[in-house]
Amino acid sequence: MRLVSLSDQRKFLSLKIDMKRNTNSIVKKKFYYNWLGRPNSLKRSQVLFILTVFIPLIALFLIIRIIPIVTVFGISLTNLHLIRPVTKFVGIRNFVHLLGDEQFISSFFNSVEYVVVAVPLEIVLGLTFALMLNRKVKFESLYETLYFIPYILPMVPVAIIWKWFYTPGSFGLANYLLGSLGLPYVPWMSNPKIALLITIGIHVWKNLGYFVIIFLVGLKNVPNNLREASKIDGATNWQTIRLIELPLIKPIILYGVVMATVWSWSAFTEVYIMTQGTDISTGAEIQVLVYRLYQEAFVFHNMGRGCAVSLVVFLISLGIVLLEFKILRWKER
Amino acid sequence: MKERIGQTEVQKKKISISRVVLYVCLLITSVTIVMPLIWVIFTSFKEKAEIISIPPTLLPRIWTLSNYIKLPKVAPFFLFFLNSIFICSVSTFFIIFGCSMAGYIFAKYKFKGQTFLFFLVMGTILVPLQAYLIPLYLIVRSIGWINTYRGMVFPLIIMSSGIFFLRQNILAIPDELIDAARIDGCSEFRVFWTIIFPLSFSATAAIAIVNWVYTWSQVFIWYLVVANSEKLFTMELGLMYFQRNYVTDYGGIMAACVLCLLPILAVFLALRTRIIEGVSFTGMKY
Repeated sequence: MRLVSLSDQRKFLSLKIDMKRNTNSIVKKKFYYNWLGRPNSLKRSQVLFILTVFIPLIALFLIIRIIPIVTVFGISLTNLHLIRPVTKFVGIRNFVHLLGDEQFISSFFNSVEYVVVAVPLEIVLGLTFALMLNRKVKFESLYETLYFIPYILPMVPVAIIWKWFYTPGSFGLANYLLGSLGLPYVPWMSNPKIALLITIGIHVWKNLGYFVIIFLVGLKNVPNNLREASKIDGATNWQTIRLIELPLIKPIILYGVVMATVWSWSAFTEVYIMTQGTDISTGAEIQVLVYRLYQEAFVFHNMGRGCAVSLVVFLISLGIVLLEFKILRWKER
Repeated sequence: MKERIGQTEVQKKKISISRVVLYVCLLITSVTIVMPLIWVIFTSFKEKAEIISIPPTLLPRIWTLSNYIKLPKVAPFFLFFLNSIFICSVSTFFIIFGCSMAGYIFAKYKFKGQTFLFFLVMGTILVPLQAYLIPLYLIVRSIGWINTYRGMVFPLIIMSSGIFFLRQNILAIPDELIDAARIDGCSEFRVFWTIIFPLSFSATAAIAIVNWVYTWSQVFIWYLVVANSEKLFTMELGLMYFQRNYVTDYGGIMAACVLCLLPILAVFLALRTRIIEGVSFTGMKY
């Protein structure tokens, strides 16, 4: 039995009256179906389609992304260990331990150095190359390709190649180049300060192409009549760049800074490869935060402490990104 | 009049000098950037004694393939290569259909909670894989997929930036086409398959290529954590263990590096514009 409200009965009656007046109008019985829609209707087929696509998709997103991101917080408060059977809630003890852990502190400052050195280098060099490419040069796509090649290459062979380049003593190409210029050899690998810097150099070399490309795309979108107008007003090239082009691609520069920060803050592979093998005496001295995370979680199987490190990685990168948004927005005003 | 002509000539000369400087700068920087790669490719064809000879040479004096020939005897690099190809293909297959269907629904349907779901999907772009690596590992472990192909591919079958990219592309397809197909009696899936998918194909292809490059070269840490047995190694993992065990065999290591770089270089040079377009939009992030 279907319940029909009073107002509906009235409507029905009025429709009946209508029908008597105008025999051509067809009276449809009104159905009250739920959100699924009537069988064989357009709505039902659409709803079913959305459900069949979205239920698996959202489930995958939950399992692969959302749940892991949320549970990092929970696991970092326990002493979860893959070998120890009992897991207890330990509060913030993991974080307290990290504060007293010399290796963690040094890896933290190495990561900070990573960001401080890599981000300005990538942005400034990327902007320089993009500005050079944007001046209607011939064979532009050739240069673009050459700049971009390192970005798509896998990090492992790239890091191995650079490591070979910096082989200590007289065998390494880098030292050979220095020697041919009459400069003394540099202990690339055995001095951790230099080893960290060349690792950052690999990172910059590899990611530079990406920033050249996005800045170039931005510069191409700057309307040409603005440039011409500034030229007519007697602006020099440098003034055109500084006062017209750079302010207009500011959002892209902001995006680039954010990306560069996230990438250099979460760098891992190049550091991992550099610490491998026997020809280095550094090892632990050049480790960064994600390397520390890997060591804690997958070498010592201490998942709780590893999650504490990854929480530090995650929250601080989020903080830096928000700060950069604030600073660059603030400058806009 | 004469003065004017003289002026423009001076200006032209000035411009041409700055042009020359520009071209020299471009040439030097771009060649410096690819120089290590060229050097390595030539080195892999050198004999062992020549690699460590003291005035190093760019071109090998004696060309030899011995570095490549001995590789399969030391480590199953062909298997590693097939593993890499297999994982990239499976991941790309899922990405193509998942992203274009999800992009279609986000672009062309209206329903409750759509915006919320969209922001949920997009919000994960800025979180790097390294930050949630451990819980992801624990989940895959609890399903029992550690050390299997399934476990290696599993986190790579969704891509939020791809969904966003395809949504933007599908938004440009006119609604009238879809409605016309519906009036002619197309089912919803058929609308997707015969209209949306072909019309957004170039965007889908860009996403597929970007994903291929990404899975080949950017997720080393996940493979490192999940795959423990040599049978499952990708090119990168195989290369890493190879250089760890044969530190002094520079020729072999360089040859293995070249083998690991060449497939992706070939794909890049063949599909250059597509890759640059796709990468500059998605940033090769998940």
